[in-house]
Amino acid sequence: MAEPQRVPPPAPEAFVSIAGLSLTYGAPGQVLVNALQDIDIAIDKGQFVSLIGPSGCGKSTLLRIIGDLLSPSTGKVLIGGSEPREARLDREIGFVFQDSALLEWRRIRENIALPLELRGTPKAERERKAEELIQLVGLDGFQKAWPRQLSGGMRQRAAIARALSTNPRILLLDEPFGALDQITRDRLNMELARIHEVTGVTVVLVTHSIREAVLLSDRIVVLTPRPGRISRFIDVDLPRPRGLEVRNDERFDDLVRLGNRELEKGYM
Amino acid sequence: MSDTVQKLLRPNGFVDLAWPPVAAFIAIVILWEGLIAVFEIPVYILPSPASIWLAITTNPGPLFGHAGITLYEAVAGFIIGSLMGAVLGTVFAYSKIIARGLLPYVIAANTIPVVAVAPIIIIWFGHGIGSKIAVTAFLSFFPLALNMMKGLQSYDRTIMDVFHIAAANGPQRFFKMRLPSALPYVFVGLKLNVTFSVIGAIVAEFVQADKGLGFVIMTSYRTLAMPRLWAAMLMSALIGIAFFALIALLERIFVPWHASAQDNR
Ligand SMILES: Nc1ncnc2c1ncn2[C@@H]1O[C@H](COP(=O)(O)OP(=O)(O)O)[C@@H](O)[C@H]1O
Ligand SMILES: [Mg+2]
Repeated sequence: MAEPQRVPPPAPEAFVSIAGLSLTYGAPGQVLVNALQDIDIAIDKGQFVSLIGPSGCGKSTLLRIIGDLLSPSTGKVLIGGSEPREARLDREIGFVFQDSALLEWRRIRENIALPLELRGTPKAERERKAEELIQLVGLDGFQKAWPRQLSGGMRQRAAIARALSTNPRILLLDEPFGALDQITRDRLNMELARIHEVTGVTVVLVTHSIREAVLLSDRIVVLTPRPGRISRFIDVDLPRPRGLEVRNDERFDDLVRLGNRELEKGYM
Repeated sequence: MSDTVQKLLRPNGFVDLAWPPVAAFIAIVILWEGLIAVFEIPVYILPSPASIWLAITTNPGPLFGHAGITLYEAVAGFIIGSLMGAVLGTVFAYSKIIARGLLPYVIAANTIPVVAVAPIIIIWFGHGIGSKIAVTAFLSFFPLALNMMKGLQSYDRTIMDVFHIAAANGPQRFFKMRLPSALPYVFVGLKLNVTFSVIGAIVAEFVQADKGLGFVIMTSYRTLAMPRLWAAMLMSALIGIAFFALIALLERIFVPWHASAQDNR
């Protein structure tokens, strides 16, 4: 198998295309932080892409630009041919944060149905969809629970279900499992892989863990800090569907080693 | 045994929770009655429980009438003051510039003793019940204004992002995010106001009134009718307790998800 190669700039027909993107934080007169510089990424429909890099390298910033929570200083993002703002207003973006950000005053089912409620979907339809998602993420029996009665892992399941409620075309996750213990994390990794497989949604995952990235992704984007740039793309050619046992695979170890070597450059 | 009775009797049921204060109450009344008999304490120093009971039960109509007036003033002032406070708190939460301009004066006004401001309000609003309600509303205004503002600002920034991603509009953000996250603070303010509203009504009646428990306390004091004074004092306490219990019940209904409502379930 050939070593993964640096990939050329995005083809215009890609589902998500990020071109010439940079972002500098700070108002005039303040200290300027050049968080992202010259970012070009192309993502195909249904692809699972991970962003990885040391903390402060701009992973969250990049994800927030794709999700229209931030505007870039220069460059352009297109999602299915639309600007992030249009895609967001069409409810084509799902976003999961490290903090589950559930509404403590709503039961789990009403939390999951929140984006539908905000869109004005009729109640019966909302409940049908929420029930379907509860089954999908494995929260059956917790429809009527309050968020504070759930463990961290279950709260993230609910947050993922909520993000999927409007059938988004792209799912963005910012270190969603960063605060969970290893076993819960493994389990949720498998859930996410299964959700990706059955829904066919395009996924961009921010993670600290190279092993998580290799386990789940079709492609890994390694970023280096100050300013945040792409140092390389790693294409993960492990067969799908993957179970946790893929981690015993020699190829898995090769890819992890490759990723680690690339990451270490960012820490120098 | 019926379900309800079982519920009342089980550990942490009503009986389990209620018997210690009830026992203490009976013990205090007996001790009180006994001390007065043994030491021959004069009634103007400390009336006996029996004499207070008599002051309440002989010709109870007028006394309960006065209590009703005070209750009415307290509740009306509580509602008006809390509503106005909630509105101003909301304005403050949404407009930084208005908050920065007015907040110092609101905090300063909050420190004015009610006894100093009551005569002024009574001059403005006249000698009827209206002026007592106005004094009570004045006291109930500040706690809710400040807690409403704090509450509306306390929403989680990530939840704000969730609403942004879901393309929520302004009213949706207010009613489905900021207001629900403010409710625990609102109830802190409302509980303070319960106490303040009873105080406000009685203080206003001290200044000028011809009815209400404050009026009863003042006239009993002038004639040294101490059992009647104690009766009025205890009734004002009961009004405060019942009012507080009502607000605590509303808190359980409207904020069932919050820790303060769940832990003592
Ligand atoms: N709101 C902000 N204002 C100024 N600087 C910021 C802001 N948010 C992030 N930064 C800076 O931008 C860089 C990238 O941050 P971030 O995207 O959060 O990194 P990561 O998610 O990879 O840890 C960091 O140096 C961080 O300090
Ligand atoms: Mg981050």
